[in-house]
Amino acid sequence: MTSPPARLTARALSFRYDAAVPLLEDWTSAFEAGEVVGVTGPSGRGKSTLLYLLGLMLRPSHGEVLLDGEPVHAAPDRARARLRAHRFGFVFQDAALDQSRTVLDNILEAALYRGDDLATAAQRARELMDRFGVGLRPTARPGQLSGGQAQRIALCRALLGDPAVLLADEPTGNLDAESSDLVIEALHDQAARGATVIVVTHDPTLVERCDRQLTL
Amino acid sequence: MTAVRSGPSRPQIFREALASALAAPVTSLLTLIMVAGMCTAVLLTSGRTVGAEQAVVSSIDSAGTRSIVVRAEVGAGLDTSMLRRLETLDGIAWYGGFGPASDVWNAAFPGGNPVAIRMAYGPDWSDAGVPAGATDGGSAYASPEALAELGMSHAFGRLTGAGGQGFTVAGHVDTPAHLDFLQPLLIAPQGIPDRDRETELSLLVVVAERPDLVAPVADAITAMLAADDPGKVTVETSEELATLRAMVEGQLGSFGQALTAGIFGITGALTAAILYGIVMMRRKDYGRRRALGASQRLIVSLLLVQTLILALTGAFLGTCVSILVLGLSSDPLPPTTYLFSVGILSVAVAVLASLIPAIVASRREPIAELRVP
Repeated sequence: MTSPPARLTARALSFRYDAAVPLLEDWTSAFEAGEVVGVTGPSGRGKSTLLYLLGLMLRPSHGEVLLDGEPVHAAPDRARARLRAHRFGFVFQDAALDQSRTVLDNILEAALYRGDDLATAAQRARELMDRFGVGLRPTARPGQLSGGQAQRIALCRALLGDPAVLLADEPTGNLDAESSDLVIEALHDQAARGATVIVVTHDPTLVERCDRQLTL
Repeated sequence: MTAVRSGPSRPQIFREALASALAAPVTSLLTLIMVAGMCTAVLLTSGRTVGAEQAVVSSIDSAGTRSIVVRAEVGAGLDTSMLRRLETLDGIAWYGGFGPASDVWNAAFPGGNPVAIRMAYGPDWSDAGVPAGATDGGSAYASPEALAELGMSHAFGRLTGAGGQGFTVAGHVDTPAHLDFLQPLLIAPQGIPDRDRETELSLLVVVAERPDLVAPVADAITAMLAADDPGKVTVETSEELATLRAMVEGQLGSFGQALTAGIFGITGALTAAILYGIVMMRRKDYGRRRALGASQRLIVSLLLVQTLILALTGAFLGTCVSILVLGLSSDPLPPTTYLFSVGILSVAVAVLASLIPAIVASRREPIAELRVP
């Protein structure tokens, strides 16, 4: 793994979009390197929001997010952006691909923000596309993709930087059983390489195969 | 230990900005058209005014706006020592003195038309096309009008004067505007004589560096004349032309500036509003970029470079179209510096207009932007 293993901790975490409606209250948990943690619970309980808080995309109303014991939730924007680019990998619920760019450009996006050599990164991107059986030309546009293909492209993008923390929001939501298996294996592979993997999911198959489950 | 890059290099940012611009052809084309339109609107309105102003000023200038002519009768006491005194005076672009005129004829046609030849004294006659160092006293230089009058088809030949004095025509002169009143011009350049060989002048021509310097330079020359008989010396200036020139430049200039500012204000605000809309439409794009690790600064840089690329292209196209239209309608072109200035200002307006939405887009929490439907 290019990024050293990371221990991620949420300490007394609270968040509310609306002042009157708390979404998370005083939530504490620790995530160890090498484990796949499944976060489940009914819709609207803040599962995705928890993922965004842990991934430094939102600032908590109260509490702390610690990475290897260091508080990072209130770090300056540049430091948080750098951590997102270098140590985190994200798979969003709707894949969040740039519709105007090619599949390859989409996979390479985070590599650009890291300042990686894009020719080397493109080679690895093609290997990941083969591994996940995307079955598309790298020059294809996201508009030509099925939901499952888009989600696999998002996974390729997240794994390209070999992140220390992989955060995935419903990564198997649009996939058939065979593709789901492939994705679940990839999540475990990444954990085996020393990454901390946190997955928000409603998929019982994925929940069963997580090392640990948290319910919100 | 391998150093970890803190972000993309400048070439990577440029390539990404270019790729982003090409990947969104509709919005890119809209931006490009807005900047080209802004540039064209300014050049076809105030640019046309500036071009006309330049043409009028240039016409006035060609009439010798900056020249001062001192005429001295015989015995007035004006001599070549005045030329040495002029060397110390600031604000002068050119000066030259002329001795009394005497008639000469083409030696090949003794009965032909006479032309007045003048000994010409001064440090530099290159404006008239006289080669440097051609001041031997015996060589004469003639304008095409003088050559025609003398019956010479080429600038070769001998000239003879009434007193038997002879000159060799060594070349022709391109009469500058400030010596046009001496046509048909025939001169024998002499340089500036030594102090012990001062020679009487009948005419002194001085060209000020700028039209507004004509009056003070004329005053200074009048004070320096030290003529034996001031009543025999007259100083003629183009002060009225200089005033007219200043009025034309001032009134048309301020009108052109006001027009430029007004059109830039209107088209700039329109461009800014459209760019703001374009950026706001792409909020989700910036949210995704931020979520994946792009810093606020990088988002702003990418957007500004993208706008810069499109604005430069738009300004170039707008300038080309304007030049073409002005050329087809036979209108005078504004000066090159004006064309460049308008292009640069158009690009600056576009980049500044995209700065505010870029900052707004970069400041939001990534996920708030990413969740925009």
